[in-house]
Amino acid sequence: MTDRERYTPGPASGAEVRKNGEKWTLVLVRELRHAPEKVWQALTDPAQLREWAPFDADGSLGTAGNAVKLTTVAAPSPHVTETTVTRAEAPELLEYNWGGQEIRWELEALGGGTRLKLWHNINRRFISMGAAGWHICFDVLDRLLGGTPIGRMVGGDAIRFGGWQRLNAEYAKQFGVEAPAWPPVPKPGGVQQ
Amino acid sequence: MKIKVMSIYVDDQEKALRFYTEILGFAKQADFSNGPFRWLTVASPDAPDGPELQLALNDNPAAKTYQQAMFQQGQPAALFFTDDVKSDYERIRAQGAEFTMPPTSVPGSTIAKLNDTCGNLIQLVQLARY
Repeated sequence: MTDRERYTPGPASGAEVRKNGEKWTLVLVRELRHAPEKVWQALTDPAQLREWAPFDADGSLGTAGNAVKLTTVAAPSPHVTETTVTRAEAPELLEYNWGGQEIRWELEALGGGTRLKLWHNINRRFISMGAAGWHICFDVLDRLLGGTPIGRMVGGDAIRFGGWQRLNAEYAKQFGVEAPAWPPVPKPGGVQQ
Repeated sequence: MKIKVMSIYVDDQEKALRFYTEILGFAKQADFSNGPFRWLTVASPDAPDGPELQLALNDNPAAKTYQQAMFQQGQPAALFFTDDVKSDYERIRAQGAEFTMPPTSVPGSTIAKLNDTCGNLIQLVQLARY
């Protein structure tokens, strides 16, 4: 078995939802055993993003004012959005917009590691999916930074994975929302996609 | 190989979902999101395993230009077949939808056209039986 096959995410944790009327923001905190400078590189360098993030970037996210195309990966059809990095204060604060959703990263030195905090203003309907997806991305990021990468797990690759299904349900329960039903319940005689 | 999913561009996926389910009567099949991307499909309740229609967010300027031109020419973006176009016309109109063409006899079929409020004309088709 490979490390990727052996990988099972831990229980849902480190997430909360801030509600401001219809606008919900997912706030995730993860402690990583790597210095902020190293984590910053992984958050901004296209080559490293490709190893763990739910999108590909065609340029560095590390400089304010940079215009970068973000492409959602492992989706049934490619989805490309253009973003401009609005704040990049290495290695502490990074802000940009992902197709209309605000993304804000905060990196705080913690011992020799980093307390990474993500604000993601996500469509409320998909907030548990988002939490589950980022949870797995952070696990993959942690292994990447530790020098034992297991490969990106996002989009369709993630949802076929039992760990994602469980996290989606756990986060939905924590947030008090209904878990989006996915994948659809197979119908008798139906073809599973 | 089979035809499983066709896409239609919509200006607002939430509004489109309401229109295609509550007004037209289709059923939601897939609804998955990855960041700003949302994969949303509906299918006929008569054929849940049949072809799906993807309600794709139209955030592509080229597609918007094409969509508007087709709309202005009266060209439908999709054709749905029915066994009774008159009763579907009455049912859908009662839900508040706007038809740009009432049921009209043309060679081989009776057709009607309606505005999906998301940027498209939809044509209903009932094939003539001889």
